[in-house]
Amino acid sequence: MPKNPLHTPFCEMFGIEYPIIAFTHCKDVVVAVTNAGGFSVLGEAMHTPDEISADIKWIRDRIGSKPFGVDLVLPASVPPSGGLAELQSKIPDTHKAYAKMVHEKYDVPAPKGKEALHQWGGLNQEMARKQLEVLLEERVPLLCSGLGNPAFILDAAHARGIKVFGLIGKTRQAKREIEAGIDGIIAQGFDAAGHTGEMGTFSIVPEVVAIAEGRPVIAAGGVTTGRHLAAALCLGAAGVWTGTLWLASRESDVDMIVKEKLIAANAEDTDFSKCISGMTMRVLKCPWTNEWKKPEAPAPLAAPYQMLLSSPYIQGANDNRRADLMTEAAGQGVSFIKSMKPARQIMIDVVDEALTTFENLTGGEE
Amino acid sequence: MTETTKPASAAVPGFDASVAGKRAECDGGGPIQGTRYAGREEFAGTLTGDFVDHGDPPWRWYLLGDLVKKPESYTDAVVWCESGSVFLVDEPDRVPGKNRL
Repeated sequence: MPKNPLHTPFCEMFGIEYPIIAFTHCKDVVVAVTNAGGFSVLGEAMHTPDEISADIKWIRDRIGSKPFGVDLVLPASVPPSGGLAELQSKIPDTHKAYAKMVHEKYDVPAPKGKEALHQWGGLNQEMARKQLEVLLEERVPLLCSGLGNPAFILDAAHARGIKVFGLIGKTRQAKREIEAGIDGIIAQGFDAAGHTGEMGTFSIVPEVVAIAEGRPVIAAGGVTTGRHLAAALCLGAAGVWTGTLWLASRESDVDMIVKEKLIAANAEDTDFSKCISGMTMRVLKCPWTNEWKKPEAPAPLAAPYQMLLSSPYIQGANDNRRADLMTEAAGQGVSFIKSMKPARQIMIDVVDEALTTFENLTGGEE
Repeated sequence: MTETTKPASAAVPGFDASVAGKRAECDGGGPIQGTRYAGREEFAGTLTGDFVDHGDPPWRWYLLGDLVKKPESYTDAVVWCESGSVFLVDEPDRVPGKNRL
């Protein structure tokens, strides 16, 4: 019987059918992908411990004993700065004026409620610590660190039967986490949405596979088709981490306007910029990113100051559903998002295409 | 540590003479406040030797000063860096706070 190229060590590790990880902030996507034979990781960076606990219970009620993961963003660096008012006072007038110009030029409406940014948790480690405690208590099958080295929590996680994977953007970060005893690495390339790595996916994945000592390496960045999945497996990956792929799915809670923008977008319609948060992010182009690329624009401020500047634009656009202003983190694989499909259909299509790709390469079975 | 460099939350401070004065890079960043996203930032400078251990198990953070690389417009003179994200320039295989390799 020919070997199933989609049955990888990652599938073995968790007893799942397909080596496709859906990274999503939407619980309905988690459930749909999990029940379709894939693996889901719920992003919980912004949620309180109580919200995380409730989300985990909600998911478990709908997937039973099937495995899933939760992703947290652990800080890796923290400035010694103070509270919100102090930070706002440090924003230069030049930048405030430029932001005001953008608002006036595009008639950006005010946010409808209190800005989410103003629910300030502070730039410290306490929130991450409390979020981790919930995951340990709930014994989620997989804890993913979306940024930051989770080495300090490995023993506590392993003692509870929890696997830990780390998402990295440089090979030396992978080496450090492997030496600490991590269970798997998510190698994130430049094509990715949000906080991309600096290396291309085609470059970072084989480098990390070479040092992983047999651990599953998951390819992240630009994966939206079965051909991408097949290519990642050929690079030695044991699976793929997909985010943009699910944003326009039927189950996704992303605003319909944004779904339509994603479907209309190509890779060139994404911007890799510091102008939203002060840290590099890949997002769909919008008037804010376009204006901050102009020669006359001031250099974006460091985080969190730039986020304080952009927050009224982002929330104003979203609260008032202004299609001309809205944006979303999206990877370069957005080119292949061409319709709103149920998550199960997306899974079927990716798997079918991957298997067809392998058959075409190998001549298939007689 | 001075008042301006104190960590924002309660933690157990300490001093690690074995890294004080050593050049280091930090693959930093973290959650973007008010959003569900993360962002990367890079720093390079000199470790002061000051550290804090947060919680149990201890999550160790080192203070990096004399910054020679930092995000444009970064206004602080120092940054706290999680030990697993600190890479000593002259000892890249050594994890600060762990046994020497």
